[in-house]
Amino acid sequence: MSLAIELKSITKRFGSFVANEDVNLAVESGKIHAIIGENGAGKTTLMNVLFGLLQPDEGEIWIDGEKKSLPNPAAAIAAGIGMVHQHFKLVPSLTVAENVFLGMEIRKGGLIDHAAQIKKTAELSKQFGLQVDPNERVGLLSVGIEQRIEILKVLARGARIIILDEPTAVLTPQESRELFQTLRGFVAQGMTVIFISHHLEEVMEVSDNVSVLRLGKNVASRPTAELTKSDLVQLMVGRLVSFDRLPRTPTAGKTMLEVEDLWCRDDRQLQALRGVSFGVRAGEIVGIAGVAGNGQTELAEVLSGLRPSSHGAIRLDGRAITGLTARDIRAAGVGHVPGDRLVRGVDRNASIAQNILMGRQDKSPWSKHGIIDRGYLQEQTQTLIKRFDIRAQGPQSTAKSLSGGNIQKIVLAREFTGGGNCLLIDQPTRGVDIGAQEQIHGEIMRQRDAGKAILVISVQLDELIRLADRILVMFGGTIMGEISGDRVDEEEIGMLMAGVIPEPRSNTVGAA
Amino acid sequence: MEVLERLLNVTLVIATIRTTAPILLVALGGSFTTKAGIFNIGLEGQMLVGAFFAVIGTIATGSPWLGVLCGIAAALTLALIFALLVVSFKANEVVVGLALNILAGGLTVSLMKAIFGTRGSIFGHGLVGLPALKLPNVKDLGWFGQMISGYTPLVYAAFILVPVLILFYNRTRLGLYIRVVGEKPEAAEALGISITRIRYVSSLLCGLLAGLAGAHLALGYTTMFTENMSSGRGFMAVAILIFSNGDPLKILLGCLLFGFSDALSLRLQTLGISSYLVLAVPYLVALIALFALSYRSRPRVIQETLASMGRALSVKSNTVKPAAATDASKP
Repeated sequence: MSLAIELKSITKRFGSFVANEDVNLAVESGKIHAIIGENGAGKTTLMNVLFGLLQPDEGEIWIDGEKKSLPNPAAAIAAGIGMVHQHFKLVPSLTVAENVFLGMEIRKGGLIDHAAQIKKTAELSKQFGLQVDPNERVGLLSVGIEQRIEILKVLARGARIIILDEPTAVLTPQESRELFQTLRGFVAQGMTVIFISHHLEEVMEVSDNVSVLRLGKNVASRPTAELTKSDLVQLMVGRLVSFDRLPRTPTAGKTMLEVEDLWCRDDRQLQALRGVSFGVRAGEIVGIAGVAGNGQTELAEVLSGLRPSSHGAIRLDGRAITGLTARDIRAAGVGHVPGDRLVRGVDRNASIAQNILMGRQDKSPWSKHGIIDRGYLQEQTQTLIKRFDIRAQGPQSTAKSLSGGNIQKIVLAREFTGGGNCLLIDQPTRGVDIGAQEQIHGEIMRQRDAGKAILVISVQLDELIRLADRILVMFGGTIMGEISGDRVDEEEIGMLMAGVIPEPRSNTVGAA
Repeated sequence: MEVLERLLNVTLVIATIRTTAPILLVALGGSFTTKAGIFNIGLEGQMLVGAFFAVIGTIATGSPWLGVLCGIAAALTLALIFALLVVSFKANEVVVGLALNILAGGLTVSLMKAIFGTRGSIFGHGLVGLPALKLPNVKDLGWFGQMISGYTPLVYAAFILVPVLILFYNRTRLGLYIRVVGEKPEAAEALGISITRIRYVSSLLCGLLAGLAGAHLALGYTTMFTENMSSGRGFMAVAILIFSNGDPLKILLGCLLFGFSDALSLRLQTLGISSYLVLAVPYLVALIALFALSYRSRPRVIQETLASMGRALSVKSNTVKPAAATDASKP
């Protein structure tokens, strides 16, 4: 058993903050090695050190049994390491082949030899089972295929050790499975794969070995088969966390939010919603599942008044709110937690108190006779900071000085105390670590039990399974199907997410 | 019919080619900066100093070719200052471009006063233009031969540059990197392509062609220098660049449109139409065409207003569509 990579006592500091502390990591060659940990645990820093993007303050890097120094990514590539970043860096107007060979063009007589690049790309694509059309323009392709191109880029540079940073975050379950098959193909050809993730199921499914980072330290490195999912969570968080469906009593009352045959267009004037109908009852959480980009964002925007619908009706407690402005919809009692908290959730440069105030600065008791009651604001902000466990120096800290999870809590604190009876929550815990996720989920459940009608849109299936009483799956702007939250079949949801209506399970019915 | 015949004939084509060439040269120069993601409004000024120093160089050396080199050197200097401020010091490109345009206008006027003691225009002083090229054996080609022969060399250069630039962007590494830097800088950065270097190179290539355009204006198109002789061509080029997104073929079409209406307006003057109105024709035609062609990138307000008007008119078809589509999506 040889080691592809051995990191010895790597320490990396940023000022007084220690991102990696005395990390030892041994990656066997020909294996899939998963690295998991919460946000800020130091996974990305460690991989950037390994890829030559950052220089360690202490420690050694050994590759294939040789000690190496990696002053820049070029040195890492020369040592056979390739990295597929979380955010793709492809040029939309270029073809697949041009993107694969960008920076290492094949040239003949000074001119780029497109035919040779296309041929080589096709060969690589065939050899590693990554199906792409080398002639296609990248701007026209789906995210799953873009990822294949990023992997091909790495392979074309001769990588034998491939690092993937959260590769499944943007994929459907089916696409993820295809990716895993590809990765298994890589190790079968003797290559080594390092896989960063915080999706525990995936880690359990695909990896041979797993290392857990917590607060910059490697707390465990073991064969995956020796661990259970709850072991991993405990190692990651440092305490016990439940991932099961949250307990609940059926409280659903009358229908609060009603959507009927809703249509709208996206920014490019393409149909984004094609006749969506559903209802959300008081005391009920309805989850919207789907791969990002299938109309969920537009649905949230239409419901909150940020995007015009072209057809259909929205009713809140029996009253039509279609076509009202965002302000009027808020006034009617709809709280909205937007999908991108930094764009629509908060003003990054404003303080926590100002962000809490936003949208109700003209209402009593927040202001009197047009003048903001600072004392009341201060007091309320203090209370909310405590209740939502927002980790900040005080009400006057700016939003941008906080971590993503804490910014999200500011948005929740504002929207959950708005006094409405309906909540739209788009991606409640995107980029938020497990500890904060638990708190946010608890708060959403409290809102449910208080009788609010709640619509939760999330690309994380496990989150919807935890929270939702019913799950609606969206694909191509329509609702493909509905699944009760207590009898979730992931296979079935996956099919619906990919736009396939699953065959009925009970074949005997047809025979009878 | 008679009027049309007087307007549309082979001499109009020849006039179009002549008037297209200067703006084509400067717009092709701007193509480099546009592709590299720089909004270069300083084309006008680079063209103007190119024209002025081409004239100075020719008078000083007696050779129009050395004059062309002087013009290019002057435009390159201005382009280098532009790149220094915009790329290295991250100054606002519109402000810098405008400032350099104003500088170019003032500089040429005061130098003219200082050197020649006059204002207005420079001619004489031993100023010679570039020789016209008579292509061999074109007599046999009849009117076509007449159409393609007899221009000054930079007219040919302008039109030949179009396919050269197409090849440059599609088949050379530098051309590819310029496109990548403009379209997706983070991709360039990740691959170790220096964004700064590519933007400098693009700015200087732009200065080269803008200088050539200016030299052509002073030594080919005319044989003189007059105050502000670029007369808005640099700005028209900017407009053409916005709609063409820097693609050489679209630039050629835009410039031909401008050149054609320019030539036509000269012709219309002979029909006794007010020259003030006529002089506005090329700008008007070009602007309307540009607006129509770049409709897709117009501010969303205009688009959405038009779109919602359209929607109001097509309510009926909209109510039919949903039913059909939902039927289709059901198993």
